[in-house]
Amino acid sequence: MDEDLFDLEYADELDAIDDEGGPDDEYGGPKSRRSLHFTTPKSKTSSNTDTTTSDSKKKTKVSSEVCDLNNSTLSAALSQSQGELNDTILSEDEVDGTPVEADQSVPDSAVRNGQQNKKRSARDEDRLDNEVDDFFDSLPDLEPEPKRARNSAHGRDDADDWDGPPSPPRIPRSGRTSEHNRPHGSHRSETLDDQQNRLLEGYDFERRRVLRAIPDCDFVPATSFEGERVYMKLKDETILEREIDGMGKLARSSASLLPVSISAMREHLEDERHRELLQEAQDLTQRVRRVHEDDTDQGVEDMETEDQENITTEALWVERYTPKCYMDLLSEEAVNRMLLHWLKQWDYVVFDRDVPVVKDKQKVKDKDTSNNKWKKFQPEVSSELDQFKRPVQKVALLSGPPGLGKTTLAHIVAKHAGYNVVEINASDDRSVEAFTNKIEAATQMRAVMGADPRPNCLIIDEIDGAPQAAVNVLLNILKRPEGAAGTTKRKKKEGDMLLRPVICICNDLYTPALRLLRQQALVMTFPPTESTRLASRLSEIVRQEELKADLNTLMALCERTDNDIRSCLNTLQFIRKRHKELTLRTIQTMSVGQKDSHKSLFSVWKDIFTMPRPKRNRFVSIYDLTEGKSDSLQLNAASPTARFQHILSLAQATGEYERVTQGLFENYLEAKSKDPHLVGLNLSTDWLCFVDGINQYTMHKQDYGLMRYVPFLPVAFHMMYASFVPPRISFPHVQFEAQQQMNKVTNLVASMLTDMTPLVRKFVNLRTLTLDLLPPLLDILQPTLRPVNTQLYSSREKEELAHLVHVMINYNMTYRQERSPEGQYIYVLDPNVEEVVRFSGLKQRRQLTYGAKQLIAREIELEKMRRNEAANFSELQTPSRIPNHKQSLEAKPVREEKPRTNFFAGFTRKKREQSTIPDEAQKEKKDKAPEKNVLDTVIWFHFKEGYSNAVRKNVKMQDLL
Amino acid sequence: MSLWVDKYRPTTLAKLDYHKDQAAHLKKLVQGGDFPHLLVYGPSGAGKKTRVMCTLRELYGSGVEKLRIEHNNFTTPSNKKLEIVSISSNYHIEVNPSDVGIQDRVVIQELIKNVAQVNQLDSSTQKDFKVVVLTEVDRLSRDAQHALRRTMEKYMSTCRLILVCNSTSKVIPAIRSRCLGVRVAAPSADEIVQMLQTVCKKEGLNLPSELARRIADKSQGNLRRALLMCEACKVQQYPFSADQDVSEPDWEVFLRDTASMIVQEQSPRRLLEVRGRLYELLSHCIPADVIMKGLLQELLQNCDGELKTEVVQSAAHFEHRLQSGQKAIYHIEAFVARFMAIYKRFLEEGIADLF
Repeated sequence: MDEDLFDLEYADELDAIDDEGGPDDEYGGPKSRRSLHFTTPKSKTSSNTDTTTSDSKKKTKVSSEVCDLNNSTLSAALSQSQGELNDTILSEDEVDGTPVEADQSVPDSAVRNGQQNKKRSARDEDRLDNEVDDFFDSLPDLEPEPKRARNSAHGRDDADDWDGPPSPPRIPRSGRTSEHNRPHGSHRSETLDDQQNRLLEGYDFERRRVLRAIPDCDFVPATSFEGERVYMKLKDETILEREIDGMGKLARSSASLLPVSISAMREHLEDERHRELLQEAQDLTQRVRRVHEDDTDQGVEDMETEDQENITTEALWVERYTPKCYMDLLSEEAVNRMLLHWLKQWDYVVFDRDVPVVKDKQKVKDKDTSNNKWKKFQPEVSSELDQFKRPVQKVALLSGPPGLGKTTLAHIVAKHAGYNVVEINASDDRSVEAFTNKIEAATQMRAVMGADPRPNCLIIDEIDGAPQAAVNVLLNILKRPEGAAGTTKRKKKEGDMLLRPVICICNDLYTPALRLLRQQALVMTFPPTESTRLASRLSEIVRQEELKADLNTLMALCERTDNDIRSCLNTLQFIRKRHKELTLRTIQTMSVGQKDSHKSLFSVWKDIFTMPRPKRNRFVSIYDLTEGKSDSLQLNAASPTARFQHILSLAQATGEYERVTQGLFENYLEAKSKDPHLVGLNLSTDWLCFVDGINQYTMHKQDYGLMRYVPFLPVAFHMMYASFVPPRISFPHVQFEAQQQMNKVTNLVASMLTDMTPLVRKFVNLRTLTLDLLPPLLDILQPTLRPVNTQLYSSREKEELAHLVHVMINYNMTYRQERSPEGQYIYVLDPNVEEVVRFSGLKQRRQLTYGAKQLIAREIELEKMRRNEAANFSELQTPSRIPNHKQSLEAKPVREEKPRTNFFAGFTRKKREQSTIPDEAQKEKKDKAPEKNVLDTVIWFHFKEGYSNAVRKNVKMQDLL
Repeated sequence: MSLWVDKYRPTTLAKLDYHKDQAAHLKKLVQGGDFPHLLVYGPSGAGKKTRVMCTLRELYGSGVEKLRIEHNNFTTPSNKKLEIVSISSNYHIEVNPSDVGIQDRVVIQELIKNVAQVNQLDSSTQKDFKVVVLTEVDRLSRDAQHALRRTMEKYMSTCRLILVCNSTSKVIPAIRSRCLGVRVAAPSADEIVQMLQTVCKKEGLNLPSELARRIADKSQGNLRRALLMCEACKVQQYPFSADQDVSEPDWEVFLRDTASMIVQEQSPRRLLEVRGRLYELLSHCIPADVIMKGLLQELLQNCDGELKTEVVQSAAHFEHRLQSGQKAIYHIEAFVARFMAIYKRFLEEGIADLF
């Protein structure tokens, strides 16, 4: 019923899906939405069934017999076996109505057939035991057996696939039929029951149809499984026809024996067969194509099976079982739909096709199904388009853990919507230029020469690993049209606007680099696939790969891999290489298929403080229990060993030991544990100290050898503090805050220290300042000052004030005016050492009044100015006291050149003399030449600028005049 | 005109008020001409630096009192810039290498070499060596201390070192053996009282002896603190009264409250509250060893004789770990947890004995 509803609701969507079927869309005819459409394995199945049929020919051919019946005697009315046929047809009808079941049951039916066959054979044998003859007298001897030899008369090899359950000799017929029918449509089955009952009245149930002894007329021999030989009588065809005729009359006489006319049924069967043939043909062509792709030049069909074997061994299963079209997708339907819908909104821009049709429908549907559940999945896809008829969100951002099929989805949806997929992933160069080029190429251009005329759709995979700059490039491209909104339309050649859809894929949505993109994009998070669904799909694959595994085992596998499809398939393939069978044991002991998954810090802390619930261990097989193996018990999640291992691997995988430890430190005291003697408490503090020691050692020696013991701390804490009700874990920030506060205080004190008077500074350091000096100093700095003018102070009071001011200057303190948040002006100490000294929860000290502080601040300023002046004055005292303008330059007396006394004169006299003579001659020249000039002309020009000495030479005034 | 601490600080060896024989020894040492490296140690507030300053004055005359603050820049081998403040006169330089943390080795190597490689020019009028005063030597890293060893010998002719520290236990033996140790013990309570009286007399104040005694007790042998407390008392209330309350530093009160909280209740919840207070103390720049010591002192008052040894032992254990660890809070908390366990067991045994 759900399926029907679904079809009704999404009829238009499905239509859209249908009419969009691009060239790659291999899907045609009524098919399930999500059935496995595996091409290769199919033939295998059929071959499988072939073998089974040959094994139990007798039974399987029954079905073909019915077909025969159809072909040969269809014009005639059907008698007894009509009921059965009805059955089959009814089920066929169901197939029509809901194609899903039929299609899914294709592979299943083979198995079912097999099972039924077995049952049937058992029943047959029962019957054979009491063998009775009487052959001719009974009318409805239409039983299948006699005719099964003719089954291939019409060349219907594929008849095997045709699945009707026409179990021939069902004795308590009415009951069974109704049983069979009821699930499909009880109203019909009721009427049918009536009819059948009527028919059955005349039926002789006692008569044996299969004989052990050789009958006395024409017969067909047959051998059962056990080697028993049985015989069946042969009837003359004319007699048979007559009987059938009779049946037909009987049928016609009862007005509505069949709800559908025979012709309709025939047509239907024809259709069905046709469809199957088509299907087969398609499969074949695909196979052939694939063979070609694999560069094996044998396109011949008979080589196919071998090739297939090769592929089986070579190709990764992940590749082989990748969904090929939209219908095959295993991911959440709502997400698939949302992405497709979004992609469809590009139609106007990309294909010049009108979106409104879809839009209208969308609206109508929105009204209709406003209370529908999937609506809540996509509130983000706004159906509005911007001024250029593009969807508002130009980028879709898919996120989710690995192995859910994000990339596959993007590819398939893009293909489905008729785009040519261009992918950028982590393997490509993602520098800014490369990224820009790629994006431009993908979104602005299209292949001219290539055979593929479809527009591009850019898929940026693993964008969370891309550098921020590269993501910014994408963002800029998105923003562009807004800036140049007016011009872009006119200047088409710029082509800056993003005209093609871009799909980004990431694992971690909250990577800092994606922050801006997240705001602009249509964000879709992938919910994890349900393990049941995944397991059922795996089971199909497993069957096709001839690996034995039951659903439970597969469920265990899914759980082990956290529902990672890729990981599951890889694991299965790995196992298949070596074993034919997958057991729970292998999965439990297996180390492959497990991810070294990085969990968030919070989940790590939570896991540490949470006692794992002892799971109902559904994966313990009976084998294990009977053997009484202990390791199966150990694998139980609640056992100490398992907990130990789990937490250890968790802690190791996290890597941020420091953070984890800090988080434990700040949360463990709130965890509940029975610890009356505080033994555990001491143990845990010991652990913390130990780890601290290790850290110190590691940091100091840069030797990471001991680091490996750090992750045992979480294990110890888990063992001590795990409980079923974990404490609410808060992020460890206390340490950080304390550190910051400490830095602040240190800076305050340091700033105070820097400008102290040296004499004071000499005797204090940070430690003595905070411990000894500051607390009393703050008291000393707060004398009682009379709130009157300083002029009125007594000499003692004046002294006190002066003392205070001096102290404050010496210790580099003052009062600074500040505006408090309430708008009042207050004076605060600068640097505000109050913060260093005061502790919370202790009695407040007396504070000076505003006026007093103001007075002190003023006095400090004055005193500082006085001191500066004094310093300046003393500086000025040293040079001559003649005012500047009255000073005149006086020529310095030219000192007589002293003969240089050289320390080594005694040793190097000769040399000295030689070298000094030219030296002194030069000096004299230099000294004398300018002196002469100066004496001759008082004024001369000297060019300070210029590039050559030709200009720089001295020019006499007289030369100029 | 400054605080009493600075105002009445003696400037010559002769004016020192207590440990006078030691002052005499120092004087002889200077006059003897062969001045060795000194390692001056003693609790804070006992007058180590004052003594050093007096010695320097004895050596060089009043010129050492012309102090200036210099900012020295160094570059580590890894190209990190360091800045350290030094206080120097023409004859000496004083520096606290532990200000730059783990890079102190660079400072030791560069700074001392710079100073020591320059010869005193006029050796006739001056001593032929300069003095480098290193403070807080006990906080020097091992590397720096080892770097110091060779320097001390190599530049013996041009420079002398005066090392100042609180405890010699953290100074490596190699350095200790190269220096003449000068222990400056804390003044006794009587000496402090006497000091307070003299200072007050000089200020023209009348200090009741009871108050002086109380201040001396509270100061725990720390003369600096005693003088500051006395001055604070004066500012708060003058004329003095004998039963005037002497304000203690906030952090001490806070620490005492914390200790009493631990004694009141022993549970993880209480430990959490205590941790909050410990964090507050640490973030106010109260050193972890001071916290440890303060806690121990307060807690011991609540312990019986037998318990005391156990508590002290565990305190020693965690104090040692504290020194070799990174995060003080872990170790202090571990000590508190251990005390809680010990104390709780003791209480329960006591109750059990009653029945």
